[in-house]
Amino acid sequence: MAELVVENIEKWFHREDGQPFKVIDRLSFKAKAGSVTVLIGPSGCGKSTLLNSIVGLERLDRGELKFVDNSRSQDRPLIGYVFQSPRLLPWKTIGDNLRLALKGAAVAESERENRVRHYLELVELDEYINQFPLYLSGGQRQRVGLARALAIESDLVLMDEPFASVDELTARQLRQTTRRLCEQLHRTVLFVTHNLAEAAYMSDYVVTLTRRPATLDAFVPNPLPTPRQWGPEIYRFAAELETKVTLKEEGES
Amino acid sequence: MALESNNQAALSGQTAAVAGAETLPAFGNPAGRNLMGRILPPFLALASVIGLWWLLYLIYPRLLPSPMNTVNEAIRLITDGSFFFHMYQSLRRVFVGAAVAMIFSVAVGIYMGTVRMGEQFFQPLVVLGLTIPGLMWALIAVMLFGINEFASYFAVAVTTFPMLVINIWAGVKSLDKELMDMSHVFHFTKSMKITQVILPQLVSNIFAATRYGLGLAWKVVVVVEMFGTSNGVGYQVMKSYQVFNMEGVIAWTLTFVVAMIVIEYGIINLVERRLTAWRPKIDVWRR
Repeated sequence: MAELVVENIEKWFHREDGQPFKVIDRLSFKAKAGSVTVLIGPSGCGKSTLLNSIVGLERLDRGELKFVDNSRSQDRPLIGYVFQSPRLLPWKTIGDNLRLALKGAAVAESERENRVRHYLELVELDEYINQFPLYLSGGQRQRVGLARALAIESDLVLMDEPFASVDELTARQLRQTTRRLCEQLHRTVLFVTHNLAEAAYMSDYVVTLTRRPATLDAFVPNPLPTPRQWGPEIYRFAAELETKVTLKEEGES
Repeated sequence: MALESNNQAALSGQTAAVAGAETLPAFGNPAGRNLMGRILPPFLALASVIGLWWLLYLIYPRLLPSPMNTVNEAIRLITDGSFFFHMYQSLRRVFVGAAVAMIFSVAVGIYMGTVRMGEQFFQPLVVLGLTIPGLMWALIAVMLFGINEFASYFAVAVTTFPMLVINIWAGVKSLDKELMDMSHVFHFTKSMKITQVILPQLVSNIFAATRYGLGLAWKVVVVVEMFGTSNGVGYQVMKSYQVFNMEGVIAWTLTFVVAMIVIEYGIINLVERRLTAWRPKIDVWRR
């Protein structure tokens, strides 16, 4: 199992007039192996930027991201990513979307078909294997995105507000599916959200960030038992988290 | 009372009457309506052109040939085999030239859309190419290479290339960045990115370019054949013109149009429909 160590990282962007501004400021924390670490903070504080830096879509200006994995040694580690929108190739069937991710992950061709079926079964979409994404609902597409991120069997999975674009009832079902799979598969997950109840339900650990430039505010272990149940205690822990985090946007008083 | 009866209908499993339902149009047989809807408009368009031609013929019988005589001439061309021979020659020139242009334009278009230096290098050349008429390229090709097949391939390829590049380049510039990022995150190889992510997004641009490119290629081929070859549709049109055979000129033009329609509806439309089968058919906004 792998652990992600974020060490003293800094990220700057430039405004349109060329003025630089700091998004992340000397941020350090650990996403512990086999657990779900939820990152919460005000919108625009750099949570997605951090995830994009981890997968190499952004370059950090300072600091280090260490992927501590005892079993593998890779230059560019394989990381599953569940995006805010599902980002499926609409001209490929659900099965082919997963097959391509497996091909990219250099999974042997003989093993791909089993994995595709297994992970589509886990998200209860195996009957849609030959369907095109645009014929599925938003929630179903997001489940395909989840299956794709898990199917490559990377030790680290990133989730960037994966249920933000679906309705609350669908989001609740997706949270339950995702949490169940996290408990079942023991992957290291870094989950970004600004929904406190979602953070309380999904997390084993919660990392709260300050307003921009984001730095570590608090590292809170989740005291709730697993397997996780959605109940009043989730809201109690969410209320506790609310005292620790400022979810206002930059510039708001 | 009405609510009560609706509830009763629902409970008994019957379809409840909807207020104002009698004002809704009858749906009829959808398959039959679709077929009529597809066939009738193009049929009416063709009929109106033939009707206008007939009317003009009745007014100016010395200037225009009758539609019947022209159709007879076209039938003669088809039955004596000359149509197939000359059409094959022209088609070969069009397809070879357009295929060469397409291969280069896809490569250059993708390069221009993804590499800034490629864009800066090729943009002025493409704009320059767009300003040169096909007739000029036809003349230059025959003067450079003489009366041979290469001249026609060259003229077609060079004339259609800039316009194809513009289309592909525009398509690449509007590629979905989120899908490109996804392909990077999931370690897609370069060839997977091109074949599975980039090219499928360019399908619409490629088909638009193909339609326009083939139309342009036909025009250039006809010009080249008029003075640079001894066969092909252009050569036959020129021959009919020289003996003032108006029926021949129009009959060759008509067969030419028919060939274009067959290519459009028989090949391009079918391939495009097959490649875009993943798109749900949403036509609600069209009347």
